[in-house]
Amino acid sequence: MERPDLKQALGRLLGPAEPEVGCDACFAQLDRYVELELAGEDADGAIPGLRAHLDGCPACREEHDSLRALVGGEQAL
Amino acid sequence: MSALDAATVASVEPATPLPTLAPDALDGDSREWLRCLRAEGTTRDDALARLHGLLLRAARFEVARRRPSLPHLRGDELDDIATQAADDALMSVLRRLDDFRGASRFTTWVYKFALLEAAVKLRQRAWQGREVPLEPEGWGLFSSSELEPDAEAEQSELVATLQIAIAEVLTPHQRRVLVALALNGVPIDVLAERLNTNRGALYKTLHDARRKLRRHLDECGLALDDWLKER
Repeated sequence: MERPDLKQALGRLLGPAEPEVGCDACFAQLDRYVELELAGEDADGAIPGLRAHLDGCPACREEHDSLRALVGGEQAL
Repeated sequence: MSALDAATVASVEPATPLPTLAPDALDGDSREWLRCLRAEGTTRDDALARLHGLLLRAARFEVARRRPSLPHLRGDELDDIATQAADDALMSVLRRLDDFRGASRFTTWVYKFALLEAAVKLRQRAWQGREVPLEPEGWGLFSSSELEPDAEAEQSELVATLQIAIAEVLTPHQRRVLVALALNGVPIDVLAERLNTNRGALYKTLHDARRKLRRHLDECGLALDDWLKER
């Protein structure tokens, strides 16, 4: 039986299983990561551990999503 | 102090070093930004004004994204927050100008400072005057009322094991941080402010607590990946 709430709650409690960078390293590389993503390049290969951190840290993930939306929106103009 | 303080933030894992680029590897716009910001007189003043404009635009973008979750804040309060965020981001950018390596365009690099400052201020504003819950409140998410008896028993066992592990395996500080952030949904910047620490240090504590919990549950024979992936 699918229990999405439980899976989500467990994921939030236990975080990513993969190695991840910390918040400062995430911030330092976020601009490069977002530009690589928007260019369709392999951002996760170029910056290992950042995607796992975004999965584990809601605050950094929100800021990633905002930067991607802001820069992506400008590029679309 | 800025929301993230590189001097005091500990990485969970070492990050790939930023690529070091020669000055001529910068794109033309980024090189021009640096030239003007390092100049003197009106050239610098004009560049600062344009930079503040960019930061304010990014801060207002963040405010607009979060506005639906902040219905109690008036428009002028939100614009004050955006302006404060742009002011603080300007100081951070100027302090870290030598850190810009051209790994992205200069505008993308500066936007992240404004987005961070605005997001932190809005999270803190949303929790202003609210008590931060440090005792477990979020176990309801781990239960379901529509389970077969076998599945319900299995889930109850999982929750009981988690509760015991949190109580017995973690240090008091790890328990407090994990419960607040991962169970009760307290934003990390809000908890950092209340505990007089920073996001990076708190996340390191959360990471260590999560690792301890995973290891303990593994030793107890709970196949966590099955719960996380297959169900």
